[in-house]
Amino acid sequence: MQEAKREATFDALVVGGGIAGCEAALNIANNGYTVLLVEKDLSIGGKMILLSKVFPTLDCGACITTPKVSEIARHTNINIFTGSEVKNISLNGKHKFKASVLKNPRYVIEEDCTGCQLCEEACPVNVPDQYQYGMVGRKAAYIPFTIASPRVAAIDIENCTLCGACERVCPTKCIDFTQEKEVWAVSVKTVILATGFHLFDPLRMPRYGFGSYKNVITSMQMERHLAPTRPFHTVLRPGDGKLPDRIAYVLCTGSRDASVGNPICSQICCMYSIKQAQLLMGALPMADVTIYYIDIRAFGKGFNEFYEQAIGMGVNFIKGKIGKITEKENGNLILRYEDVSSGKLQEAEHDLVVLSVGVLPNQDSQIFFSDRSLQEDAHHFIRQPDSLLNPAKTSIEGVFVAGTATGPMDIPDSILSAGAASAEAISYIIQS
Amino acid sequence: MEVEKGQTYKYLREKYEIPVEVKEQLKNYTKIKKAILDALRDHEMTIAQISELLSLSRHEVVYYLMSLIKYGFVQAGELDEMDEYYMYKRLK
Repeated sequence: MQEAKREATFDALVVGGGIAGCEAALNIANNGYTVLLVEKDLSIGGKMILLSKVFPTLDCGACITTPKVSEIARHTNINIFTGSEVKNISLNGKHKFKASVLKNPRYVIEEDCTGCQLCEEACPVNVPDQYQYGMVGRKAAYIPFTIASPRVAAIDIENCTLCGACERVCPTKCIDFTQEKEVWAVSVKTVILATGFHLFDPLRMPRYGFGSYKNVITSMQMERHLAPTRPFHTVLRPGDGKLPDRIAYVLCTGSRDASVGNPICSQICCMYSIKQAQLLMGALPMADVTIYYIDIRAFGKGFNEFYEQAIGMGVNFIKGKIGKITEKENGNLILRYEDVSSGKLQEAEHDLVVLSVGVLPNQDSQIFFSDRSLQEDAHHFIRQPDSLLNPAKTSIEGVFVAGTATGPMDIPDSILSAGAASAEAISYIIQS
Repeated sequence: MEVEKGQTYKYLREKYEIPVEVKEQLKNYTKIKKAILDALRDHEMTIAQISELLSLSRHEVVYYLMSLIKYGFVQAGELDEMDEYYMYKRLK
C-alpha cells in the first residue's frame, strides 16, 4: 500500500501514551507548549487503563485513568496519534529533532465515528480479544474496549473479510477502507520517551504449564477477570468454566530469576497479587487464596498495612519457591514447592493458578535514534546517566525519559517520574 | 479513482486478497456459534454438557460461549446443584 507523506511541527514529542506519557504530555501542554503524543496501540492509557483496582487504596483503575485521558484527548495543545509508531528520530541541530512517525490506517474517520458500535454488532468475525488477553472474542470491526480513548471504532484489517456489513450499518458512513499509511515528518524541540515495559511471557517457563494447562493464567488475565468490563460474567476457570475455590498465586514468575535472564525484582508483583487476592476474597467469598512467595516486598507508603490487611482477610502466605506445576485430569493443578519454613518439598492442589509475571524492558526506543546512541543500563532499560540529581535525563541531550522505561516502578512513581521528565523538557524548550 | 462512501470495502477487495485462514476462521466460528445456539434452543445447559454434546473441549466452549454472552446471544443463569458450574440460556 502507498504511504502518504505529511509534515508538522510541535514543541515536544512524547513517545508512549501510557500513564507516564499522558502525564508528561499534559504537564507540557498545560504550560502552553504543543505536544505530539504517539501511541502504538488504538487507545491511550497503557496498561493502567485495563486494571481493575489499584493498590494500596483499592481505587477503581478506570475511574482514575479516564478523567486524565479525556483531559488529554480534549486538550488543544495536544495532538494524539494512536495506532502509530515512531520510526526514527534524528538530531537536526541544537534543540531541533526530526522524527519520522508512521500512522497506520484505522479504516475509520475518527472525527465522524460516534462509537455507536453498530459496526461491531454487524461484523460476522470473531477473533481473540487482545484487550481481554485472548480469553474471549471480539469482532474485526470493534471499539478496543469500553473506556478506550479515543472511543472510536477500528477495523482489524488482518482478520477482516471485507464483507461490507460494517459499512452498510454505519449511520455516519465513517468507515473508510481507502485509508492508507501516512508518514509524518515531525519537527520538535525535545523528546520524552515513555515507552513503558513488557510483561514477562510465561511461555518461557514451560515447567509452569502456561499455554498447555488452561487453568494457569497470568496476573494480567486475572486483572481482567476482576475488572467491571471482565471477559466472563464472573471469575471462572478458563479451562472448563468452573467457579474456582482454591486459587494459588506464584510470585516472581520471570523476575528475580537469572535462569530466564531477568534477575531484578518487578517491584509490583507482590502488591498487585495481594490486591487481587483481596478482590478475589470479595468476588468469591468461599474461595481460599494462597500466595507462594520468595519475599514480600511491601516497601511503599501504606503497602505493609495493605499486606497485613490481606492476612487479616484470610489470604494464606507460604514462603516457598514453586518448582513445577502439573495438571490433573479434572483440570486441577498440583504445585510442587520448597517450603522454606520447614525446608521440605511439599505438594499442594489448587484449581486455578495465577502467575504473577515480572517486568521486562521495552527495547523499542533503542531503534529510534539513527545518529545517536541511546544508552541502556545493565538490564536493558533506558540508562539514566545522572540518576540521583537528574533522573529524567538520558544519554542524549534534549531527550528525557519517564516512567517504567527506566525500570520497574509502580503507578505513583511513574507519575512522579513523568513530572520530572516534563519539567526537564519544559526547561529545555525555554532554553531554545 | 472515485470511491462511493459506504461502499469502500469494494475498493479494498479489488486490491487485497483475503487470506484463506481468515475465511476458515469465520466459517469455523459461524459453525460453532450455530451449534451452541441450537444446543441452547430448548433448555439451559452447563459448559460441560455443551462440551459433551458438541464434542468440543470445555476450554473452547468457554471461549465461544463467553463471546456469545458478550455479543448478547446467551445469558448466564443459576449455578448447578454443586455450586460449581453455571447454566446458560439462549437469548436471541
